[in-house]
Amino acid sequence: MASTAATRAAAAASKVVKPIFSRDLDEAKRRVRQLYRAWYREIPNTVAMFQLDITTRQGRDKVRELFDKNKHITDPRVIDMLVIKGKLELEETIHVWKQKTHVMRYFYETEEPRPTDFLSKFYRGHDP
Amino acid sequence: CENRCCPVHLLTDRDQTSRAKMFLSAAVRSAVSQTARQVRSLHRSAARAGAGGIFVHRDTPDNNPDTPFEFTAENKKRLEAILSMYPVGHKQSATIPVLDLAQRQHGWLPISAMNKVAEVLEISPMRVYEVATFYTMFQRQPVGKYFIQVCTTTPCMLCNSDSILEAIQNKLGIKVGETTPDKMFTLIEVECLGACVNAPMVQINDNYYEDLTPKDIDNIIDELKAGRVPPPGPRSGRFSCEPAGGLTSLSEPPKGPGFGVRSDL
Amino acid sequence: MLRLPVVSRSFLPAAITKGGAAATNNARTAATATAAASNLLEVFVDGKPVIVEAGTTVLQACEKAGMQIPRFCYHERLSVAGNCRMCLVEIEKVPKPVAACAMPVMKGWNILTNSEKTRKAREGVMEFLLANHPLDCPICDQGGECDLQDQSMQFGSDRSRFTEGKRAVEDKNIGPLIKTIMTRCIQCTRCVRFASEIAGVEDLGTTGRGNDLQIGTYVEKMFMSELSGNIIDICPVGALTSKPYAFTARPWETRKTESIDVLDAVGSNIVVSTRGGEVMRILPRLNEDINEEWISDKTRFAYDGLKRQRLTQPMVKNESGQLIPTTWEDVLTRVAGVLQGVKGNDVAAVVGGLVDAEALISLKDMLNRLNSDNLYTEEVFPMEGAGSDLRSNYLLNTGIVGIEEADMLLLVGTNPRYEAPLFNARIRKSWLHNELQVALVGKEVDLSYTYDYLGESPRILQEIASGTHPFSQVLAKAKHPVVVVGSSCLQRQDGAAIMAALSTITQNVLSGGVEKTWKVFNVLHRVASQVAALDLGYKPGVEAIRKNPPKVLFLLGADAGCITRQELTKDSIIIYQGHHGDVGAPMADIILPGAAYTEKCSTYVNTEGRAQQTRVAVTPPGMAREDWKIIRAISELAGVALPYDTVEEVRDRLYEVSPNLVQYDNVEEANYFKQANELYKAVNQAVLTEPLVPPQLTVKDFYMTDPISRASQTMAKCVKAVTEGAQAVDEPAIC
Repeated sequence: MASTAATRAAAAASKVVKPIFSRDLDEAKRRVRQLYRAWYREIPNTVAMFQLDITTRQGRDKVRELFDKNKHITDPRVIDMLVIKGKLELEETIHVWKQKTHVMRYFYETEEPRPTDFLSKFYRGHDP
Repeated sequence: CENRCCPVHLLTDRDQTSRAKMFLSAAVRSAVSQTARQVRSLHRSAARAGAGGIFVHRDTPDNNPDTPFEFTAENKKRLEAILSMYPVGHKQSATIPVLDLAQRQHGWLPISAMNKVAEVLEISPMRVYEVATFYTMFQRQPVGKYFIQVCTTTPCMLCNSDSILEAIQNKLGIKVGETTPDKMFTLIEVECLGACVNAPMVQINDNYYEDLTPKDIDNIIDELKAGRVPPPGPRSGRFSCEPAGGLTSLSEPPKGPGFGVRSDL
Repeated sequence: MLRLPVVSRSFLPAAITKGGAAATNNARTAATATAAASNLLEVFVDGKPVIVEAGTTVLQACEKAGMQIPRFCYHERLSVAGNCRMCLVEIEKVPKPVAACAMPVMKGWNILTNSEKTRKAREGVMEFLLANHPLDCPICDQGGECDLQDQSMQFGSDRSRFTEGKRAVEDKNIGPLIKTIMTRCIQCTRCVRFASEIAGVEDLGTTGRGNDLQIGTYVEKMFMSELSGNIIDICPVGALTSKPYAFTARPWETRKTESIDVLDAVGSNIVVSTRGGEVMRILPRLNEDINEEWISDKTRFAYDGLKRQRLTQPMVKNESGQLIPTTWEDVLTRVAGVLQGVKGNDVAAVVGGLVDAEALISLKDMLNRLNSDNLYTEEVFPMEGAGSDLRSNYLLNTGIVGIEEADMLLLVGTNPRYEAPLFNARIRKSWLHNELQVALVGKEVDLSYTYDYLGESPRILQEIASGTHPFSQVLAKAKHPVVVVGSSCLQRQDGAAIMAALSTITQNVLSGGVEKTWKVFNVLHRVASQVAALDLGYKPGVEAIRKNPPKVLFLLGADAGCITRQELTKDSIIIYQGHHGDVGAPMADIILPGAAYTEKCSTYVNTEGRAQQTRVAVTPPGMAREDWKIIRAISELAGVALPYDTVEEVRDRLYEVSPNLVQYDNVEEANYFKQANELYKAVNQAVLTEPLVPPQLTVKDFYMTDPISRASQTMAKCVKAVTEGAQAVDEPAIC
């Protein structure tokens, strides 16, 4: 056991994780803040451009909510990946590659939690 | 039912005309074949319209499962004799002779006769139908009392069987495949009956009439109409199938003993 | 392609292939030595040695060597006809190609399955077959599963030299199940041989000769056999296709689910073809122990009953007596309330013939938790004497395959031809090939084979038991005698007396010269659920309910009409759970829609005691649910929640009760005839004088026996065609 643990530790040590952008968590956090700021500034434009029936305040709250949803993540690689995705979304919004419905989709909860107990499953359908 | 039978008759006629045109068509065939490649004619091998060219049964007023048929007392004895020839459990082997017996009794084979044969042989009716449809000598449609089969295959045709056929048609006023209104004669054209030496020939019921001329066939039909059965065989004075112009070999009596032997022995 | 011998050798077992060519030669001599020792021959298929028994045909030898020979007329379960000539192969040093299906191999032959001559022969035969075959594959129902199509792609030439016209044959009307397009027929005569050999109905034959030869019935006639659908499967071309399936689906667009048939107690193995949540057709699946590769017409064609008369939503009767659709929440609460509102003993349940073991165990567990043990089956089984306590009392102990070893069969009050068509096909097979002698007590019926008729009075059984009947000597002389009693004659008042007599007959035979492991006594059931229900401890018969009407009656698929509303008290509540609105549903106060056998993964035990499972082919329609889940849901609301949530957990429970129920495809043997006989000695019941008449006498009675087949239009057409002739249900042909 000890030997395997040792080899595993050695492997971990020798295995260098290739970063996506950020070398450490602080750098990753910086990128997140950058993205957040960009979104924050873009929201009034978005509301105007897409003629959304929401206030700027509501839009910014939604941005904050979506960022908060991932706040538990600590792996810089994962954070980087999410930032990349966020940037893509932002780009699509700025260039109006999206349509109104795509933007408003952030505001709808479409997924219901799947039932777990027998009776709820029974009521819900044939084979949930 | 009548409509469905129709194409068969049409085709029979067509076969006849096509035979007449045979030589003509041979000449132009090479030219035609290039253009007429795509023609799809309905192909039939045996034009046996008179004897029931179709191989399915359709109920008609005189041929249906209720057509009365029962072996006569005399034929029942014959039936026993036929069945006794086959070992136990092999009654099915007697299908052909028993069918023949039924046909001889009734003149032809209505569906009820086939069912009766199946009953006496204790086999399924289908097995009897199979045999009866296979053999062309079983008539599954009504035929006249005298069933005239004219051979028109090549040797007979070369000996002018067409004139015989024409004579019969003129005499009886019916065409090939038809029956006279008095149900006495049915005329049919058949392929070779194996009497080429005595061509032209016709078969009337079981008898072969050979070496015919139109006049001979006229007489034969007259005799039959009068209720007499003329003697079968050649009409040219020949006894059987010996050469027509006298013997060509073995024409003298055999030589006695000592023939060709040295005289000094 | 030139195939090198080394390549082909590499597929052989290691013992023979070891080393190069020299070793192979050694192996050949060694093989010859073993061949000489027994009655075996050595032949070569493309140079590859195979050891076969003497009398094996060339085709079988090639099959053994892993080489498929193309064929049309040859079918391994039918006699050899040898008329299609597709299986011609060249044999080294034999001047002409031989028909592989009919030629027995000779020692040392080298069969060349891929030589130039063989290929030319196949191509020639194919050219002749296609000379008259129409090019209507796009509108042919066989397209995609057609032997001629496949083999002409593989072995045929891409063009024909024939310029003549094609033969045309008129179509036959042989009933509402089989569509004939006789122009497509290649005269392999498989259907003719099937009809005369397997089905025992000699209605099909070949009429005419030469180019005009055709398959048919000659006279206008329906092909009246309970196995007729199988000629659709064995037809190698599209000449015989399924009428109900015509122009509905292609084989490549259907999803196949391997399942089990439950419309009789045989448990035939089937494949359910589905497309888009709809059962398109049902085909047989090979199982040598049960149905070989045949299925009955009811199994094959009753599937359209699965789409009609279905219960798709829960219903509750309102004040005016109308059944009103409602939700599951509502109906389950009501049922739970009803069950909680009465004392346990006032609840009773009756189960029908199509119920699976999972539902049976759930229902039993639930009622037991409610302190009730009033669980009954619709089918009656005499409980006096040994009753259902001994498993060997209610099984087909000999097994379906066992009939092939039997030499004497006594049928009692049954018509296996319609009660279990595939069991009857086995009897016929044994009767045909193994000299099986059959005797019958009961109503005289057409069984497709001959039998000694002993009479129809049940007294004859007592005479045989006491040895006064001449047949008892015949039975005593038999080496492998079998007694089969139909479940229908055990429904009678004197069922126990009949069982007692049969038990004595069995014991007499066993005490004679019959080997001890041979089982004599058999019960032939008619419904799929009965064996599982008896295994689980259900009580057969609803007599107890009539005597003591419960306040709440739970009908689980009970559609035989054994119990009527009038036999219960005025205020009693009937809950019906099932998949068809048939006999049971109209008299119910609450209806719970269940799933049919193609819609659930469930266990059925056939009359042999063989557990098999159906699989989900389509989802249950509408709001219908799997049966055990409904009962499980009720139990939770009624406060007696059953301890299983998944089908695996239900099966664990089944295993606890009776392990054989989940040992799939395995027959748990039971052999307690002696003990049974001891118990039956105590039975003091007189047999009645009424004759033993099974309920299904003619083919007309065969088609509609259960809720599914009663809802089927195809089966209704069959009944009409049988009574009024095939023309009565003739539909205008589309093509």
